[in-house]
Amino acid sequence: MNSLTWFDFKRLSLVITFVLVDLSAKAFADTPENVGDPKLVRTSKEVGFGDPLVSLLAQVQPKMVKIYGAGGMRGLESYQSGFLISDEGHIATSWSTVLDSTKVRVILSDGLKTDAELVGIDPQTEIAVLKIQEPTKSYFELNATSLPSPGDRVFGLSNLFGIATGDESVSAQRGVVMAIAPLSAKRGRMKTLYQGRVLVLDVMTNNPGATGGAIIDLEGRLVGMLGKELRDDQSNMWLNYALPMDVVTGTVRRILEGKTNSATQTDKLVPSKRPHRATSLGFNLLPDVLAKTPPFVDQVTSKSIAQRSGLQPNDLILLLNEQRVDSRRAFEELLATIDRADSFSLLVQRGQELVRIDFRP
Amino acid sequence: MSTPNIFTPGRYHESVWQVLMLPFSIVRNLTLDTLRNARQMNTEPMALATGLDFPTVHRRTLFAIRCSLAATVMNIALIGDSSLADDLAALAPPSPPPSVLKAEADRIQAIAKASRSTVGVFGLDGQGGGSGVVISPDGYVLTNYHVSDPFGNRMRIGLSNGEMHEAVIVGIDPTGDLALLKMEGRNDFPAATIIDSDTVRVGQWCFASGNPFVLATNLQPTTTWGIVSGVHRYQYPSGTILEYTDCIQTDAAINPGNSGGPLYNWNGDLIGINGRGSFEKRGRVNVGVGYAISINQAMLFLGHLKSGRVVDHATLGFTVASDEKGRVIVSNILESSDAYRRGLRYGDEVLALDGRDVTSVNQLKNILGIFPSWTRLKLRFKNAEGTVDTYVRLGSLHTVAELDEIITGKPLDGPPTPDGKPPEKKKPDNKKPDDKKSDDKDTPNDSDAEESIGEQSKPNELVDSMKDLFEARRGFGNYYFNRREIDRITSAREIQSGSLAPSEARWPKELKWEWSGSVAGESTQFQFTSQANQLSLTLGSDTSVIDPVRGWANIIDTQGLSGPALAIELWQRWNSVGPRAMGECTYIGTAPVIGLETWQDLTQVTTGEVESFFYTSPETKKIVLIEIQSDSRQDRLEVYFDDYETTLIDGLKSPSGEALSKPIPKRIRSSYGLTTPMVIDFKRLNVSQETGTK
Repeated sequence: MNSLTWFDFKRLSLVITFVLVDLSAKAFADTPENVGDPKLVRTSKEVGFGDPLVSLLAQVQPKMVKIYGAGGMRGLESYQSGFLISDEGHIATSWSTVLDSTKVRVILSDGLKTDAELVGIDPQTEIAVLKIQEPTKSYFELNATSLPSPGDRVFGLSNLFGIATGDESVSAQRGVVMAIAPLSAKRGRMKTLYQGRVLVLDVMTNNPGATGGAIIDLEGRLVGMLGKELRDDQSNMWLNYALPMDVVTGTVRRILEGKTNSATQTDKLVPSKRPHRATSLGFNLLPDVLAKTPPFVDQVTSKSIAQRSGLQPNDLILLLNEQRVDSRRAFEELLATIDRADSFSLLVQRGQELVRIDFRP
Repeated sequence: MSTPNIFTPGRYHESVWQVLMLPFSIVRNLTLDTLRNARQMNTEPMALATGLDFPTVHRRTLFAIRCSLAATVMNIALIGDSSLADDLAALAPPSPPPSVLKAEADRIQAIAKASRSTVGVFGLDGQGGGSGVVISPDGYVLTNYHVSDPFGNRMRIGLSNGEMHEAVIVGIDPTGDLALLKMEGRNDFPAATIIDSDTVRVGQWCFASGNPFVLATNLQPTTTWGIVSGVHRYQYPSGTILEYTDCIQTDAAINPGNSGGPLYNWNGDLIGINGRGSFEKRGRVNVGVGYAISINQAMLFLGHLKSGRVVDHATLGFTVASDEKGRVIVSNILESSDAYRRGLRYGDEVLALDGRDVTSVNQLKNILGIFPSWTRLKLRFKNAEGTVDTYVRLGSLHTVAELDEIITGKPLDGPPTPDGKPPEKKKPDNKKPDDKKSDDKDTPNDSDAEESIGEQSKPNELVDSMKDLFEARRGFGNYYFNRREIDRITSAREIQSGSLAPSEARWPKELKWEWSGSVAGESTQFQFTSQANQLSLTLGSDTSVIDPVRGWANIIDTQGLSGPALAIELWQRWNSVGPRAMGECTYIGTAPVIGLETWQDLTQVTTGEVESFFYTSPETKKIVLIEIQSDSRQDRLEVYFDDYETTLIDGLKSPSGEALSKPIPKRIRSSYGLTTPMVIDFKRLNVSQETGTK
């Protein structure tokens, strides 16, 4: 104690204080510069003790859709949420097993039931774009720069638990953006393909059926798309998150421009005369027993092209040459269009990771 | 404004749980806030720091608060001035704009107001616990049936001011998950302000109040704030008979123990009774989706609940399905249903019920589900000929035996279990005394839960004050309250105390009544004489003698023209000897009457061969409608007494010998079903008090 002077002690405790205060400030979220900023703190009138919030939520309802497809088994819902993004009937939603159906049905806010076609998907961000035939008046403008700050008030709109049917409004929830952080920070503990930046929310939005729902701000602008249900394996905590608009906008644009992985397009396939065959490349898929058997790799022959390329048993093939293959049959049909002399690439899901595999014969 | 305690309910950090779940950034602000408060109040910051002693602690957060506070305090103490605290305060946000502070003050006020009406519902031994809400100054309390059920027919109610009151069960609605309790002894219980829950909109702020996890040992309710997430929600019965119709969905946290408690709007007005959540794989805790029974539904059932009966929900007597165009089409219809008698057939399109458009099957269930049986509603449907507007009587959804089965818990059961499993009465929101401390533990039922509704509770000296207020009877939650309601609608107490004016008092018994009038629009004379056991009706040139008891069923079955005479006879009996002397009589509740805006008191009396239904005005106590039914598969006789006039009655003298004026019907309308009524205008009523004289 003798070596510690009074001045040192003062300085040390100052340091401790700042470190602690600073830690508490930065540990989870960036603090908004000024909580008193009128953009961040709304008065009672603005936030809707009366009508503004009511009309805000009523105004975005026509942009929301309910999506029904495959599923219905225990733990696998057959419904999810989505929102309109163009006047031509484009719908942004989450890429999930619900869309693994020959027929995806969409119910608009006025109760109109219609079938949707899958325009494209992006396995990296788990976003899908659907299209319905009907033109749509109400839709969200996608704006890549609509990024809320931690502390911002937001509202979640989704058909969680499938509560709303027909023309009933989807559920609205209120929350605050707690943080903007990459999901990869939780890698290994959260089962998710998407690893990028997400809006972490303080409200329990990510329930069954909520995925693909919209997060809006106090002006009614779209600021995020609700992600899937995500549970931390170790703590059993459920994470409520949404994909930020730069990710949503970028992905949707790529899908619409056809630059990214398009949907299965079996009608345009021209079989090659000397096509590739899985067996000659050195791998087998799981037997084709269902209407849509997922293209899972069953076996990989040692020292084959497949093994050298890095393919492993239990890989789930998602894309072949950037084209979506949602079944073993689709994969085989698409593979049959590629000449034996040509290279091709696969995107496979291995556990929670996406792996790209290039085949060079 | 002096610096309020930062944990005033309704302030920024609305609940302890939310504070604990806050990110560090906000904790920092909180810390600075505390420091600022400390400076303003000139208080020792350490005292404030140690004041932050939560019942359950998010360790890391508390650690952070304590570390930063402790370090700051240390600095202030060591450095000897508060410049550091000033620096820290400079980092904190400036004071919020006045509008924000105003909103906060309004919120605090609304929560304070509403919290007074929120009560805790406990067993007689003070254990267990759910929530409830006081709805009238004379002590009626609404809660969930699944909350009151394990406690039997007596319980204790804890007001937010810490007072404990005895309470007794009144009526129960096992299908709708409602129970009405009564406290006695005061006329200034803190009743909630009830508003029309149909005015509630998605996006309005609201808050749940109650006792989640039985946290509050001092009876101060816990407030959870949120928005209305959906209105007019329909929730399928899941594993139980119970369905939630037309309910309010909120993201305000609804947890076990909130059951039965109130959902208030932003202004602290009562809009619903919390009772259910969407619980799936995440256990029985809030997942951001809670449901409240709309207060409008509760109010529609209130009259029925006050009758002390086991009340029932309604059925239309037909089923519907939506076709490919989304139209709601009758898919099946009972020929014995009132809707069938009104012309509805298989394949017709249902357009509206109770004036609300039917756009989906769920919507029809929503509209129907908020009404008790015994109700008559407007129905609009479309058939090949066109659109039909009519009224249909709703039947009972269950038989008495089925309801019995529900309330004894075997094999059906009441409490909502959205997970689809059979309900366990030992869930945290209706815990038994012995597992109070193990919130998350399910233990097997003990004998207490098996207690039948009719059984008396264990002797307890505190209970004795209310022992006269309970009477067991099959089909009733508490028959005592049925007698009390009949006393009310017949002004029995006033009669007993002699406080009624002679014109309002009952007619003397053993009168000879002579009614004379004519059928409107015709020259047909209508004369009805009733004396002791001799009833005689002259209609035009036909005179018939009516037996006082027998033959009534035949008249109703054949839709006889002497029907109105039966109704007049019943009107006389009700007003002279009273309903109890007429036959077995049961107060049903309140029900709508065509042409009247407010619901009327409804009493069923078994009179010989027929059932009679008396609709009386809650205000004037006058009969407005008498229905006579012989066969439930056929239309009732309906006789409306909607035109009273206070008239000097010949032959009637007050005790002091003066001539008496009394309100008597000047005109009645009589019909079977909804056929064109026969209208009778009365010209004169003679009564004579000595039997046998003219």
